Amino acid sequence: MIAAKASYFARTALGGMWRDPFVHVIAIASLAIALVGFGLARIAGAQIDALVSALGGEVELTVYLKDGTPAEEVKKLEAALAQRTGGVARTVSPAEALGRLSEQLGPQGQALTELGANPLPWSVEVTLPPQLRDLASLQALAQTLRALTFVEAVDYGADALERLAALSKGLKLASVVAFAIVFLTTIVVVSATLQLAIYSRREEIEIQKLVGATNRFVRAPFLLEGMVQGLLSAVLATLALWALVTWAAPRAAGMLGFLALPKGSQLMSTRLMVELLLLGLAMGLSGSVVAVRRFLRV
Amino acid sequence: MIQMFHVTKAFGNDPPTLMDINLDIQKGEFVFLTGPSGAGKTTLLKLVFLAERATRGQVLVSGRNVARLRESGIPYLRRNIGVVFQDFKLLPNRSVAENVGFALDVIGTPRELVRQKALKILKRVGLEHKANVLPPKLSGGEQQRVVIARALVNDPAILLADEPTGNLDPALTVEIMDLLCDVNARGTTVVVATHDASLIERYHKRTLRLERGTLVSEERGAKAALLMVQG
Repeated sequence: MIAAKASYFARTALGGMWRDPFVHVIAIASLAIALVGFGLARIAGAQIDALVSALGGEVELTVYLKDGTPAEEVKKLEAALAQRTGGVARTVSPAEALGRLSEQLGPQGQALTELGANPLPWSVEVTLPPQLRDLASLQALAQTLRALTFVEAVDYGADALERLAALSKGLKLASVVAFAIVFLTTIVVVSATLQLAIYSRREEIEIQKLVGATNRFVRAPFLLEGMVQGLLSAVLATLALWALVTWAAPRAAGMLGFLALPKGSQLMSTRLMVELLLLGLAMGLSGSVVAVRRFLRV
Repeated sequence: MIQMFHVTKAFGNDPPTLMDINLDIQKGEFVFLTGPSGAGKTTLLKLVFLAERATRGQVLVSGRNVARLRESGIPYLRRNIGVVFQDFKLLPNRSVAENVGFALDVIGTPRELVRQKALKILKRVGLEHKANVLPPKLSGGEQQRVVIARALVNDPAILLADEPTGNLDPALTVEIMDLLCDVNARGTTVVVATHDASLIERYHKRTLRLERGTLVSEERGAKAALLMVQG
């Protein structure tokens, strides 16, 4: 009985789409455009994350120690930092630090020789593993280190990282808001097309009810229609995105060579395709649920 | 099979369409429901298959009080009641067999069985050869026979027919009435709403007469027809 009903729903839903193709094509196109927008936002978001991660990799955490810190404490701290972070820690003596500064200043570095004593402190530089390069982890680590007795200051390029993280967050938020608007608009379009389908099949619905169809039975083909619309639009959006990134990625890589963008095929991950499919189904189903609830009086 | 106790039906603030109706239709009976237009015949039939609910009183179908039936129970009640409409209610873009099979589709009957049962019932109403034809290509009598086939395909215990011969010429009227009598002879309870006195005289069945929403008489054959003409 279940198989017979499923077969009936499929035939009714596909038959309805076949008999009235124009409105369904509009709904599928609208859904596909929304999904392409979602796909592009996801690809752009992933690239920004990769960029933040890459730039984060160049940021080192430097722990400046107080004057008079015993050498054995410096060594202990170096070992402890390497162990705790899983990264590479290296002690920089005041002499080495002064040498670097002098080198950076160039000819003006000669002035440093005028100093009676080296004012620079002992420090430990830590290159962190990728999982600790995000802003939150760095902030937490810095806070812990500042509480230690011999630590004077901790530096990890907070300003630059915070700005980059804020940029990433802002772009993601903007894409979520933009997508929410497109999502709602698309649901309205899908529900409007199904409203037309319900109207054109009102006689059939009336007879179904008179011969003993349950409300669920009457509604099921319309819900299925919405899901089929979502499925077809997801396939269409995947193909369109594939074509778009294949065409656009090499051109973008040419223009932004320093960012080492991945190839078009790498941008279209399996995960993204599954997301498009599920989202398409969810949007189609949401539109049909709205239409059935609002317009199908059974 | 169908019982009504003090049933009243009113729409909004209008005077009641049906007032204090009491009736008892036995299993396997053939009953005419007659009266002038607007007497409440269609409304009374609608109360049986719950297209409308009684404002007051109790309606029992197969011993079950349908006034208390929840919305979700209505489809299951209707599967046991075949309804024939004066305006046919056939889908013009579906074949005759598909229209008949519609009543089986909604209860989840497998597709092959739907076709098989539809053809069997079409044979019974003499339309097997028109199974693949679209309804608009059929005559009025043929369309009404398709509607009867659709109403019977589920083997319902009750068949309600609202002016089933209202749009038909005398020859086709007899054809449809003979078919309904045949259905009744096989055990189905049949209720026919009509204002055609010649039918009532010819078929000599129990006749319930409604006037202005009230059940005014209960007669058979010629006497019922006479009362109708006088009324």
